[in-house]
Amino acid sequence: MDIIIFAIVSLTLMALLFGGILGYAAKRLKVEGDPIVDQINALLPQTQCGQCGHPGCRPYAEAIAQQADPINLCPPGGETTIKALADLLDVEVLSLDAEAGVDSVPKIAYIREDECIGCTKCIQACPVDAILGAAKLMHTVIVNECTGCDLCVEPCPVDCIDMLPIPITSQTWHWQKPQQLIATDRQLEQEIVGDPSL
Amino acid sequence: MKTLFDFPGGVHPPQHKQQSNPGKLMDLPLPQRLLIPLSQHIGAPAKPLVKVGDQVYKGQLIALATGAISANVHATSSGLVSAIASFPVAHASGLDAMCIELETDGQDTWHPDITTANPGQLDEQEIRQRVLAAGIVGMGGAGFSSAAKLATDTPIHTLLVNGVECEPYITADDTVMQIYSHEIILGTKLALGLLKQSTCKLVIEDNKPQAIAAMLQASAGHDDIEVIVIPTKYPSGGEKQLIQNVTGQQVPRGKIPANLGILCQNVATMKAIYDAVYLGQPSIERIITVTGDGVKQAGNYRLRIGTCADYVLQQCQAEQPNSQVIIGGPMMGFQLPNTHVPLIKTSNCLLVPSAKALSDASPAMACIRCGQCEIACPAQLLPQQLYWLAKSDAFDKIEQYNLMDCIECGACAYVCPSQIPLVQHYRYAKGMLRQKATEARQAELSKQRFEAREQRLLDEVTAKEERRKTRAAAAAAAQAAKQKTPAHDTAHQATLANNSATNEVSHKDLKTAAAIARTKLKKANKAYEDAKAADHEDTDKLQTMVHDLQQRSEQTAQALAEFESQVQVDPEAEKQAQITWAKANAQVRKLNKSAPDSSTPDDEKAAHKEALQVAQKNLEQAQAKLDHIKNSSKEAQS
Repeated sequence: MDIIIFAIVSLTLMALLFGGILGYAAKRLKVEGDPIVDQINALLPQTQCGQCGHPGCRPYAEAIAQQADPINLCPPGGETTIKALADLLDVEVLSLDAEAGVDSVPKIAYIREDECIGCTKCIQACPVDAILGAAKLMHTVIVNECTGCDLCVEPCPVDCIDMLPIPITSQTWHWQKPQQLIATDRQLEQEIVGDPSL
Repeated sequence: MKTLFDFPGGVHPPQHKQQSNPGKLMDLPLPQRLLIPLSQHIGAPAKPLVKVGDQVYKGQLIALATGAISANVHATSSGLVSAIASFPVAHASGLDAMCIELETDGQDTWHPDITTANPGQLDEQEIRQRVLAAGIVGMGGAGFSSAAKLATDTPIHTLLVNGVECEPYITADDTVMQIYSHEIILGTKLALGLLKQSTCKLVIEDNKPQAIAAMLQASAGHDDIEVIVIPTKYPSGGEKQLIQNVTGQQVPRGKIPANLGILCQNVATMKAIYDAVYLGQPSIERIITVTGDGVKQAGNYRLRIGTCADYVLQQCQAEQPNSQVIIGGPMMGFQLPNTHVPLIKTSNCLLVPSAKALSDASPAMACIRCGQCEIACPAQLLPQQLYWLAKSDAFDKIEQYNLMDCIECGACAYVCPSQIPLVQHYRYAKGMLRQKATEARQAELSKQRFEAREQRLLDEVTAKEERRKTRAAAAAAAQAAKQKTPAHDTAHQATLANNSATNEVSHKDLKTAAAIARTKLKKANKAYEDAKAADHEDTDKLQTMVHDLQQRSEQTAQALAEFESQVQVDPEAEKQAQITWAKANAQVRKLNKSAPDSSTPDDEKAAHKEALQVAQKNLEQAQAKLDHIKNSSKEAQS
């Protein structure tokens, strides 16, 4: 009998002790903010383009975290981002929402400087302050800062902003994925194009 | 001989070195056109200092380094600058890069500033300056600025001079060592002088007996230079493999040899340092191996930097000048997309395989997981895993498998029985990892800028709200003050008005008021009388009115009297004085009229005269009195 009482008492004491420790830890080590939003935000491309319908990447990350929006609304991120988000949130991989836009080659904005009238509208539209200029003075895009979000194109009253693909330089160039040729492919290839050495 | 260490992996491909006659150096005629790229090194491209049409001389600085690890570019012969534009360069991408094109004049005149020097008379700073100005970069292929490398802050105890040249076919360094052994030793001594407290190990693979003999002979008597012979094994010439082979130490991941106190330099770089310091000649030429079954005159050629590959191939009688040409060795080189490209400071070999060798290249077959690649890998990676991961674009995982430590030596692909182009997969994956890293950096930057902008906009809104509140508070305070001030103001104004009224009540006003009151009283009196006579009903009222008016009239009359007494104007006295004056005046006139004529007796005349005098005196007195009264009245009124 004693041993049962002893067990009950000791277990109760332990439960109280651990409960106390856990309760204290929960208060002491409380995490401020919502870490999942930060994690989602880190996966988004930070173009701040608003194509998802939110004014920037972080608001979209918040919407995803609240499960208000699906993970496939980010055209600049494309399939890669969707896959990464699906991995993070343990949800199914969706194909990119066509309404949000299409996954295209990365572009950046160029102002045709001769035509710029200095209205500052694009400067106000730029979400990352990548356009330099002042009222009635020519504007220009700081190429390194431009995210290619497209938001400056619409407000321009004289349509002098072009979205151009980022040129490949010897610094940014890298090797392409080698074509996987196997022996039977070679045979097939020779049949189709003919062997140049023959 | 010292105990050598070994490095893991490695392969023993056929050497083919004798094909290019090591030790025999040949010259090619100076080409008519030289194409000198502005970027022949790691780091930012140099900035051109010349214009199209400028005459330049051999050794003249034509483009200036634009950063710590950038390098100067010099004219490699004399002639005219015919273009500064983008031309295809020796890059695997086939992309264009900025070059300075020279039309050579055949004179090959040195620039007058090129002067020889005795390093014994130069101080350390001047030697460093000469190395820096000469635009010397690592001539083994890396293209890292030698001046920057020698200027390291980390203490260096060992200078490894790399004469290993482990790649098959290439004999350029072998030739340099055989022909310029003395210059290499002098250059090495200079480098040792700059590094201080360090000794040199000159490492040569045992397949170059003539080079070893030449270097041993040249280094005799130099205690701080030791020639070390290592067994032939590819890739023992790789920097990390060389260090491991000679010192037994591994360069830690993400570190450079300088962290171990070791610095590696190529033998050709040492010769370039000699040229720069002793002769004052910048890096304008190099020795390059042109070899392969596809060229008739294989050999080592001394070429000006900027000579085009197609010119070299033509001079060496390549089978098909436009066929596939590999720049660099067969293991690590790449196929030139186009042969109209210049050879630069880092180009050490042009390999022209025979057409047969090219057609013999077999297609890749499936990986059979034999593990040969893993045995061959000198970096102890898992090439098979890396291959699978690269193939399936699993970039996160491939990074965990340390892909970035791969030196792309090609040993794995060489041993692969399935002939899988493993290195190409790794290069692709590395490129993607770098691109992702750049994108991540860019995204982080964008995020910061976006957040900074949001914060700024928020601050603006807050500041605006703050200003609005301040303004509202100020307006409210002003309103409150206004409500208080008017009460005070009216009182004040009333006082002022009273004061002025009191002051301005004049004699005239009082008179007028009195007159009006009298007139009104008269009218009212008359009306009362009439009403009384007509026995009207309103007589009582009229009577009260008359009474009031009478009082009013009395008041005004009294006020007038008071005022007049105040200002000492007595109307009675004035009247009296006027009457007196008038009487005296009349007397005088009367007397003057009745002036006595000649018939009048004398006594009457005298009486009259006396009376006139009295009358005139009276008049004068009356006049004086009247004047006095009038003056005092005027004074009072003004």
